[in-house]
Amino acid sequence: MDTFLQLTVDALTLGSVYALIALGYTLVYGVLKLLNFAHGDVFMVGSFIGFGVLQLLGGTSKPVVPVWLLLVLMVLAAMVGCAVLGVVIERFAYRPLRDAPRIAPLISALGVSFFLANSMQLLFGATPRNYNIFDLANASLYTNGFNIGNVHVALLRIITVVSAFVLMVLLWLLVNRTRTGKAMRATSYDREAAAMMGIDIDKVIVFTFVLGSALAGAGGVLQSLRVPTTVAIGFVVGLKGFTAAVIGGIGSIPGAMAGGLILGFAESFSQGYISTKWSDLIVFSILIAFMIFRPQGLLGRADIRKV
Amino acid sequence: MKKAIGLALAVLAMSVVATSAQGSNRITAASAAGVNCKSTITLPLVTPVTGGAGFLGAEQGSWAKYAVQTLAKPLGLKVKFVLGDTPVEQGPAPAQALAQKYVADKSVLVVLGPSTSGAVAASSSTYYAAKIAHISPSATRTSLTQGSPKEATPAFFRVVPGDYIQGPSDANYMQNVLHVKRVVLMDFQEPYSVGLSDAVEAVLKKGGVATTRLSAPNTTTDYSAYVTKVPSDADIVFFPTQKPGDAQTFAQQLIEQGKKAKVFGGDGSNDPSAFKQPGSYVSNFAPDITGIAADKALIAGWKKANPGKAVGSFGPPSYGAAQVALNAIALSCKAGHGTTTRQAVLQTIKKVKIKNWILGGSLRWSTKSNDPLNAKFYIFQIQANGSYKLVG
Repeated sequence: MDTFLQLTVDALTLGSVYALIALGYTLVYGVLKLLNFAHGDVFMVGSFIGFGVLQLLGGTSKPVVPVWLLLVLMVLAAMVGCAVLGVVIERFAYRPLRDAPRIAPLISALGVSFFLANSMQLLFGATPRNYNIFDLANASLYTNGFNIGNVHVALLRIITVVSAFVLMVLLWLLVNRTRTGKAMRATSYDREAAAMMGIDIDKVIVFTFVLGSALAGAGGVLQSLRVPTTVAIGFVVGLKGFTAAVIGGIGSIPGAMAGGLILGFAESFSQGYISTKWSDLIVFSILIAFMIFRPQGLLGRADIRKV
Repeated sequence: MKKAIGLALAVLAMSVVATSAQGSNRITAASAAGVNCKSTITLPLVTPVTGGAGFLGAEQGSWAKYAVQTLAKPLGLKVKFVLGDTPVEQGPAPAQALAQKYVADKSVLVVLGPSTSGAVAASSSTYYAAKIAHISPSATRTSLTQGSPKEATPAFFRVVPGDYIQGPSDANYMQNVLHVKRVVLMDFQEPYSVGLSDAVEAVLKKGGVATTRLSAPNTTTDYSAYVTKVPSDADIVFFPTQKPGDAQTFAQQLIEQGKKAKVFGGDGSNDPSAFKQPGSYVSNFAPDITGIAADKALIAGWKKANPGKAVGSFGPPSYGAAQVALNAIALSCKAGHGTTTRQAVLQTIKKVKIKNWILGGSLRWSTKSNDPLNAKFYIFQIQANGSYKLVG
């Protein structure tokens, strides 16, 4: 039972970060029908911004602000920085190719991914960056929290999961309860019709990139609170986020959330109960199974074309 | 239509045969060609410059470069030092591609590295076919030089001892000093960690220690589920990663989950700036050379050339490997009266003996394999201030 509970805690932590990344993929795909393969690298940039803010504010050994404020500032800075980056990427890498064949922006996305990873390496080197949150406030983020039986749920995990869920709920409210969200949904449904109804498509697309990239930035910091980050991390997390988005149904916001959690649970439980050796195989087998048996994903809608 | 396809296939097959024949001719010609010792010789170091083990390339590169800067001229050589990147996350492909590139470059007589065992196994036969000696400063997998079949060729040399020493050293320390009852061994599904964990596990099992084996993909960033699988009565988790930051994460996640086990890293996790969880252990093929009196001037010179950088354990063997390579070129040039070949350099490597070896004592080669003689592994424990204290 302890193992089950611990794996559930692991899965929720992992899955909530995957869900944040998957949301970025799904938002952009929903509006532009573009697989933004640079999204994992935006996540990486976010993790580096968080690291930079942490260092500016005294690091983990001598922070100049209270711990809670430090964490909030790191997440906010990463969200803002990544949102700006998202706008720049959209403006220079995707907008000029908006009416090109679909393969062109896809290749451009891959190019942006390599550009970001290599630029960051040139600027900051290949050395992994560890936030060393363990050293913050006498490891209280690790040792504080609560216990379920013999399983300790660390405060750091609670912060990660709760922050991710708060962001997801805010996004859901924004998309479903605001005028801007309605414009996004309209653009996603039919871009040309939305434009004819007076919706500024360019603004909607830019806003979508702002949202997706900000979520990636937050995800980058939340993950790096617990594990070191490197300039190469974007590829792996991007792949996992993309998988989560496909499983959930790319283009569907609740689907991306569900896909992230499914992936987190699949990864943790396969490592815990089946084999640590084969967990990636199992996870990507799930992706293949979805592609074969339910290509629209769990909550996505089937693509019906007029013939 | 069928005729057209048949014709296309025939043309394709002929062009493939012609290309490979041309390629093999090029290799033979490049390996046999005499090189004027007054010309500029290229000395590559094949190491991870990017990715999670990028620290390795940075450290090894700085020492190998310093060796070239300080040793080449006194030996009468003009040498251009270059770095070849083999990120550990990308598997063997970059090492293979680099080997082809260096084989085709006539100015390459000898190669430093590859640094990791997997990269050596992937590229050694390419170097051997071109008679290029390659000298690794850090690839420790036993089967590269010993046993049957060997994963590397006779063109491979290393200046550090292999896991045939590291594995038993670590396991014996766990048994005889730490008196362990249960050990969890991790591997990362690549040659270095699998070989090293195998070597440690074999000795522990023989000694009656209960062992559990866990295997993680090399791209793993979050080890929570692996920590969950560590039994609460385990004394040690042997964690032979090539990404020291991961050893730190694992040690912290053990504490988070209330597990008493300590992390014991191999030489790949020996990085005081990244792996610094107090109470953990780490082994390495090199001592802390700052304690070797004969190295004082050398360290001072390196520090001057690399301001602000700390002396780690991976760099000094790279200096040693470059020293061996440069001396072998100089010796073969002398024997060839101003010209040399790749084969001549290859045959000269084991004739190189270095009296004041950077890792202490002198460098001599084993007569049975291309390994250094009388080399040993050192075990350190991480102290409360994060420093490494030699304990075994």
